[in-house]
Amino acid sequence: MDKPILEIEDIKRILPQRYPFLMIDRVILLEKDKIVALKNVSVNENYFQGHFPEEKIMPGVLIIEAIAQAGIVLVDNIAKSDKRRIYFLGAVSKSRFFKPVIPGDQLRIEVKLIKFISNIGIIYGEVLVKDKKVAQAEISFSVKER
Amino acid sequence: MPNNIEQEIREIIAEIIERKPEEITPDAKLVEDLGADSMMALEILAAIEKKYRVVVPEENLPKLTSLRRIMELVKSLKKK
Repeated sequence: MDKPILEIEDIKRILPQRYPFLMIDRVILLEKDKIVALKNVSVNENYFQGHFPEEKIMPGVLIIEAIAQAGIVLVDNIAKSDKRRIYFLGAVSKSRFFKPVIPGDQLRIEVKLIKFISNIGIIYGEVLVKDKKVAQAEISFSVKER
Repeated sequence: MPNNIEQEIREIIAEIIERKPEEITPDAKLVEDLGADSMMALEILAAIEKKYRVVVPEENLPKLTSLRRIMELVKSLKKK
């Protein structure tokens, strides 16, 4: 099975997001310009109460959020700064959703760094369930050090 | 290098900054005249690197102020 590089407590040291908005469970690969993270989608996710009561589908915007959060872990690893860094979403493009994500699915979130210059960057992410691509997006972001 | 490079780059810029291609004249300043921001500039740079398979050194970013400047840079990088 995929060995974790970062477990949830490590991830929580990097990401400020918390329940119910922490969208990655584990990191299984972390390289200079690539990260692979996992998220297990459970029927207990709070958003399934309303999306939708009769048919449970993970909201596409939250899949985008999962790509963004994996991206933060990737970029934070590059920056290796002691200062607290806050990431702002700048743009989402090339986003597509190929297949609904439902309870029981495991998201494999693969994110590549396209460009990162001083305080702005671009990442591209693909999300797979059982080796089938379910979503993709390119995300631009900016970083502030506090 | 094909002659339509100007039109290709114009279309890349137009899509990213959400302007009509004809508004992107060679010397229109991307930030001052066309309302681009630094994030859009980086997106233009990334799109151009991908399309022309070139690597634009980071220090060149501030020089990419207009379509003409971008074209000149791409041409010089392609020659190498």
